[in-house]
Amino acid sequence: MVRLLRHDLHILTGAYALDAVDGPERDRFEHHLHRCRPCGNEVRGLAETATSLAMAVAMTPPPRLRDRVMAAAAVTRQVPPPVDHRRLRRAASSSWVPRLATAVAAVSAAVAVALGVIQVSTQHQLDSARAQNQAIAAVLAAPDARIATQATSAGGTASVVVSRAERKIVFTSAGLPPLAGGRVYQLWLIGPPRVRSAGLLPLPSAGKTAPVLASGLAPGDKLGMTVEPGGGTSLPTTTPILLMTLPA
Amino acid sequence: MDARNIRAAGPDPGPQEERDQDLDEQLVLVARGDQAAFEAVYDRLAGPVYGLIRRVLRDPAQSEEVAQEVLLEVWRTASRFDASKGSAATWVMTIAHRRAIDRVRSEAAAAEREHKTAQVPVAADEVAETVEASLEAERVRRCLEGLTELQRESITLAYYGGYTYPQVATLLGTALGTIKTRIRDGLIRLRDCLGVTW
Repeated sequence: MVRLLRHDLHILTGAYALDAVDGPERDRFEHHLHRCRPCGNEVRGLAETATSLAMAVAMTPPPRLRDRVMAAAAVTRQVPPPVDHRRLRRAASSSWVPRLATAVAAVSAAVAVALGVIQVSTQHQLDSARAQNQAIAAVLAAPDARIATQATSAGGTASVVVSRAERKIVFTSAGLPPLAGGRVYQLWLIGPPRVRSAGLLPLPSAGKTAPVLASGLAPGDKLGMTVEPGGGTSLPTTTPILLMTLPA
Repeated sequence: MDARNIRAAGPDPGPQEERDQDLDEQLVLVARGDQAAFEAVYDRLAGPVYGLIRRVLRDPAQSEEVAQEVLLEVWRTASRFDASKGSAATWVMTIAHRRAIDRVRSEAAAAEREHKTAQVPVAADEVAETVEASLEAERVRRCLEGLTELQRESITLAYYGGYTYPQVATLLGTALGTIKTRIRDGLIRLRDCLGVTW
């Protein structure tokens, strides 16, 4: 009985493609279409065929129609596109909240600020500053660059741009509380096999820290930040104020 | 006329395919508010839209009104067009056909149509087909000729007549199941004859 009904429904592909199915039967068929891929494909081909029937009876409309339609369109707001909610949920469940372009612009601005405050007094310092900034720019410009931003438990926010291809990250921060007693903020790449220092944060300028470049990123690494004694340590000695999962 | 027949005898599917893709792209631009793209879409599809609606509704004034609604609908809802589900032309012609039969199937409109048809004569210059339409018409006509009488009648009554398949069955004095089957078989044969690939 069920098979007979399905078969019966499938036969409707042609009539449906011609808009010749009406009422509850139409609803039933559309319900069936959601589950029947071959039916959907057939309906598409037959609908394209119906379009040929329409093309064959084309007639030149009165010229005033064009003016009217264009005038009406000029004052008619368009409906927004449908949004894929599954995609939206996926995006929300990861921590990549800001859009990459915006965030890269923010980090780039930080790079520019850093260039302004770097004190260079020798040619060697200038060369190394340039090289450092070129390396940072390369990460920001990497086609696979991804950005993540996260608040730290001590206040302020951390932003990191990750390039898996370059195996590098660029880290900046804003609004971290100032530290007393010569202590420093230290970054860590926390991998399943081991924890490595990813550098110390420079002193902030106007609340922001200049970009820190860290190399040797490995799959599965998380990014951590702790407060450590001046000069940093080889392994974290305090509870991290930041623990970030890096974008794949 | 000779040129028309020669071209109609061997329509080149290549440029047709290319042009359809172009139309898809234009419609995507329309969704972003591109008025020039909308004008391009209009110039390609206003003829088929108006012609199809005229074929279904017959009354020129009412057809013009519905065509205007349809074309504005294309502008308004262009963001809903999904090229993975069908061509831009089919998306537009589906809207046009649905709007036309909505009119047909509303009894008030039907009464109004009869009333108006009696009053407004069809102006001869408005019936002129475009050259492009005559080429496509020739192709479709030849393929329709390849169908059985019942297949052809069922399809043209349903599509151009705007009838539901039970209404078609009644008009042709044929069983419902037979009509459903003939419409499907006929459309499949037509699809293959026209070389529709989807």
